[in-house]
Amino acid sequence: MGAKVCDLNRVAELLGQWADSRTVVVPGAPPENSGFVPFDGKWNALLPGTTVRSVKDLLFAQSDMLFGYELEDGAVKFTEAAVPEEVVAVGVRPCDARAITMLDPVFCEDPDLYDPAYQARRDRTTLVVIGCNVVGSGCFCTGIGGDPHGKQGADLFITELEDRLLLEAVTDKGEALLSAAVLTDASAEDMEQSKVVTGTAREMIELPIEGLKEKLDNMFDHDIWSQLHETCLGCGVCTYLCPTCHCFDVTDERRGEAYQRLRTWDSCQFTLFTLHGSGHNPRPTTQERLRQRFMHKLNYYPDKHGVSACVGCGRCVNNCPVNIDIREIIRQIGGVTA
Amino acid sequence: MTSVERQLRAECRRLLEDKEVDVILGYGRGTLPLRTAPVFARQAADVDNLVWDVTCENSLAVYVPRLAGQRIAIVAKGCDGRWIAEQISENQVSRDNVTVIAVPCAGVISRRKLAEATGYKPIMSGVIQGDTVAVAGTDWEQVLPISDLLEEACKSCIYKGAPFADIDLGRVDSTGSDGFPDVALFSQLNGEERWQAFSAEVDKCVRCYACRQACPGCFCKVCFVDKSNPTIIGVTDDKSDAMVFHLVRALHLAGRCVDCGACEKACPTGVNLRMLNRKLQKDARELFGHTAGLDPDEKPMISSYRPDDPEDFIM
Amino acid sequence: MSAVENKESWEPKIVAFLCHWCSYAGADLAGISRLKYAHNVRVVRVPCSGAVNPLYIIKALQGGADGVLVSGCHPGDCHYLTGNLLARRRFALVDSLLKHIGLEPGRVHFTWVAASEGQQFAAVIQTVTDRVKALGPAHKLVKERQRS
Repeated sequence: MGAKVCDLNRVAELLGQWADSRTVVVPGAPPENSGFVPFDGKWNALLPGTTVRSVKDLLFAQSDMLFGYELEDGAVKFTEAAVPEEVVAVGVRPCDARAITMLDPVFCEDPDLYDPAYQARRDRTTLVVIGCNVVGSGCFCTGIGGDPHGKQGADLFITELEDRLLLEAVTDKGEALLSAAVLTDASAEDMEQSKVVTGTAREMIELPIEGLKEKLDNMFDHDIWSQLHETCLGCGVCTYLCPTCHCFDVTDERRGEAYQRLRTWDSCQFTLFTLHGSGHNPRPTTQERLRQRFMHKLNYYPDKHGVSACVGCGRCVNNCPVNIDIREIIRQIGGVTA
Repeated sequence: MTSVERQLRAECRRLLEDKEVDVILGYGRGTLPLRTAPVFARQAADVDNLVWDVTCENSLAVYVPRLAGQRIAIVAKGCDGRWIAEQISENQVSRDNVTVIAVPCAGVISRRKLAEATGYKPIMSGVIQGDTVAVAGTDWEQVLPISDLLEEACKSCIYKGAPFADIDLGRVDSTGSDGFPDVALFSQLNGEERWQAFSAEVDKCVRCYACRQACPGCFCKVCFVDKSNPTIIGVTDDKSDAMVFHLVRALHLAGRCVDCGACEKACPTGVNLRMLNRKLQKDARELFGHTAGLDPDEKPMISSYRPDDPEDFIM
Repeated sequence: MSAVENKESWEPKIVAFLCHWCSYAGADLAGISRLKYAHNVRVVRVPCSGAVNPLYIIKALQGGADGVLVSGCHPGDCHYLTGNLLARRRFALVDSLLKHIGLEPGRVHFTWVAASEGQQFAAVIQTVTDRVKALGPAHKLVKERQRS
């Protein structure tokens, strides 16, 4: 796979070239730096850490139409969802890209059982990841098996060098972007420099994740959940911002004379998430719901897919209104003696 | 430890040891620089974790309706104290079951403003030094006046203390009056401009309901947005649905919202949530002479009437 | 071309919440008296103006109503004694908030119409219809088709 270089003062030009045939999205500038927004011609150097809204929003949208239906001449007429546009997301962080590799097994790895809306977006989105040279507030990817310069999930991987960007293709989608005219070939020295620069951000926190999943196998009824849950507001911010959280609801809505079947975000932290048709709710309080979130992330998901579903992006840590901190919880679980 | 903290811990220890309360709602050290977090203290040993400073931003009154029946003590800023008064007037808690520990509050720091003031650089440590705060990252330091960092809700607050207290650990003199200059300024825009401004805020909403969950006034067992059979509003981030959510929630808080700002602090995407609530607070005062949370014995505004209530909007 | 797009023949849709004891009776009297007034109103009969949840007004706008009218008994005459007095506070706030966010004044109206006021009812409907017609089709708050 190829490697090219772009001068820092020509990045806007590069993105402009990519924007010729695709929609380019970049992290929004503060204070409106919530998520990825269409590139408007101006390239701003990335802030340390992540955007507030993660790149999962581009693939697993807050609401997506699965199909439409209406009555026409006495018969039901179906409408297919529109084909999403080709998108290049520039400025994705390695944690977010790694998170996408955890959504894929849920939504589109089985050819017989996949989510067409997710698949359509996945096929048409290119992830251009920019590695982290500086630790963001709340970040802890190295403590949970991640890497601030990890290439997992990236199509194209960018390392910020002093006055230029080094672009390395990871997949064919990424390779396709390297044909932009403004790019020049990467030299051996560029490659050497990239190895030096990636060093410091890796010195992050450590967490006792060794054997965490196995420990949790026996902790469903542990006291720890009754202690941790009381301050939880049940606000759902953690799940909405988390790049691996993927709970959804399917509803039908009427829009004018037609109807649409929609897939929308839902959250295991919402009170009515597990409300049964009978009226019974097996997760009636924040205790059961908080336990669910951490068990899913650190036990159930690893059980099915072999890796914990937390990528250490720090969004839940930074944005929880009551400072419930998954790092603390992991430490507490780590401190539990069997 | 400040003297207020020392007194606070002593009082709380006594309340628990003498079994006067079942649980104390207070603040403890957080896991990030300049963060505190709500704590529930049930044993005397827990009180050593209690702190009080300008980062104690959470509206602890939100937990009160959930602890129905328990005897609660609450470390109360002015806004928390006003929420307690409102909750008492709405029969969510009885006066006998709540011990208000008033603490002196001149406002809390906004994490958003702090991030903006430090150029969004990662903050690795922060120390409160009187009326400034010293923050530092890996290779930089900055000292900022706290008055520049106050939450908007705190800047307009004129009630800097709970309306009543069982234990009074001091008050801050409140100055001035709230003429709702922010609302007046917004009203000067023409209709189209106001619509654009409102639409722009609603565009940011992802329907996470953090605002509702953080609000001490939102304690319905089933919120109108969660109803089905029939469904009232859709669950997507459709702009019209999001607008209806915010408009109706604001109306449900009319005459009740004390402007604590918990909604704004909780919102992950920075929606200006107080935009609607401030207007209704102004209306409550100007149309009906009512301010929420000042008198626990006052009847709720929306379940009252006066023979001379304004009618100029009636055709 | 839909009726909305054809400006020449567009007629506004107005939803009117009328309290059963006064305003609905007043509307009935207007009908019995064969008074002529604009035909654009769709009536929703409610027991009392106090039973009108602000959500109904907002949902009507969301559903595409070009105008909304809420009408009840005169203060002091409410069949349930105080329903309209509580409603008066509520409506003042709804009216204020909708104007605050930039909804065009003239979309939402509130009035008191007694059972004996057939003439007044017809006049109210005509006035409301004329005002709404002048504003054109509603687009603010209207829920559109989801764009996928």
